[in-house]
Amino acid sequence: MAYFDGELPTERATEALSHLELCPECQTLAADFRVVSQELMAWEVESTEVGISSKINAALAERLQKRQAAKISWPRLENRVMTSRWVWAGALAIVCLAVGLKLTLTSRNQNENRSTAYPSMASIEQYLMPDRNAEIALARSAAPAAISSDAKILVLGWRGYETAIEGKNGFVCVVERSWGSPFNSADFWNPKVRVPMCFNPAAARSILPLTIKRTEMVLAGMSKAQMIDSIKAGFNNKELPAPAPGAMCYMMSRAGYLNDALGHYVPHLMFYFPLTDKSSWGADLPDSPVTLNPQFRDGPEPITEFVIPVGKWSDGTAAPVM
Amino acid sequence: MTSDEALMLEFQGGSRAAFEELFARYHKPLYGFFRRRLNNPERAEDLAQETFLAVIRAASRYEPRALVRTYLCGIALKLLAAERRKFLTSSTSGQSAPEPKTDGTPDCVLWVRQALEKLDGTEREILMLREYEQLSYSDIAELLRIPVNTVRSKLFRSRLALKSYLESEEKNNPSPRASVRQPHPGRRGINEHE
Repeated sequence: MAYFDGELPTERATEALSHLELCPECQTLAADFRVVSQELMAWEVESTEVGISSKINAALAERLQKRQAAKISWPRLENRVMTSRWVWAGALAIVCLAVGLKLTLTSRNQNENRSTAYPSMASIEQYLMPDRNAEIALARSAAPAAISSDAKILVLGWRGYETAIEGKNGFVCVVERSWGSPFNSADFWNPKVRVPMCFNPAAARSILPLTIKRTEMVLAGMSKAQMIDSIKAGFNNKELPAPAPGAMCYMMSRAGYLNDALGHYVPHLMFYFPLTDKSSWGADLPDSPVTLNPQFRDGPEPITEFVIPVGKWSDGTAAPVM
Repeated sequence: MTSDEALMLEFQGGSRAAFEELFARYHKPLYGFFRRRLNNPERAEDLAQETFLAVIRAASRYEPRALVRTYLCGIALKLLAAERRKFLTSSTSGQSAPEPKTDGTPDCVLWVRQALEKLDGTEREILMLREYEQLSYSDIAELLRIPVNTVRSKLFRSRLALKSYLESEEKNNPSPRASVRQPHPGRRGINEHE
């Protein structure tokens, strides 16, 4: 049931998913629970158009005024108290120095903790999934079954991605590993990362080759700098294609693990374009559901990627709101 | 899109726009929270607004330790408990409880209400926090001050209970919930597999 609620860590979610594929009893239970969930969701509350009440407006105004007053009162206080500007300036400098030093050290420690969590590649075994069927199930969980059941499935082996199941509909599902992250990501070598993705045919032709190439380079032991140079060269000599029109990808698995900060994240769709201004999609604007994914920002790939969250996981159950 | 937590911090720093954005994001979910737990839509609206009032009053003490969604649910649960206490007091002083509204309520909603009514209070709250507010097990455990394992087990029990209720209702009277059995638009419903 914890799997059903997206509460399991990736490894256990993958095991559960794998078990679910083989266990009719659990399938029935999961289906029953989904029905219960759907029944509950039928209770939709009538919409309310009431805006911010006058009471809230008054409280808000009072709070903002108080804050403003607090800001203003400091300079006044300063004028009254500060009899010797030089003495105060000296004291202030000492305090700033101490605080600055403390903040620098704290921040550096935090950054070091974060950036040194996965400073280099772990052993390849840690990135592989020992249970091939579990990886297939995890890859399929990226998209609703209506799409992924006929998709081609790739799994990661010692020599790179290999075809586990041939597809019929042009979609390709794969579980990306940490090196699909931006090169400056703290999780670039995080062996826990498992990112189920299901590319539509256009993305399978034009975006998936990047996943394949990055993986080949990682397994060949190339450094990040070498990989970046190679990707740039790949785009320059057309070995790597530009995003094909209509390229998109499903990322609706509840069992994925995107990175240490996001965990399962929320189900979403991704859309790929040659470098595009984010304003053309209204991305990152207030109330816009579209965000610009930093995946390729400052990276060697001339690609813009937009993300749109969706309300359901691939199995049809409701997902947390953003 | 700015995260809820960043908006809370902006509001703490004096941004009215950040508060308005939070209001826009959470007014309806909060109204839904109270509406599903009270039979009085006006009171549900009042309490949703009171939740935001509490946010304003406590803004200076806010620390981004939990998701804003969880933080708001915590406030809402406290307001709800106070409302129920108030209601109990007024009931004993002679006022009668408002009757559940049934006029115009779709059958599927009535069924859900009835099914939830049959659950024990804590189980019902856990299930509702999970299904409607989409809180994690650990958030529910923290808000209700119970162990995570209790959340897990009660959730399991309540879903099983609802499933049994669903089956028995289906046997006795298949028509009322017909509307629920329609697949959701745009995707295959569970029932298409049946």
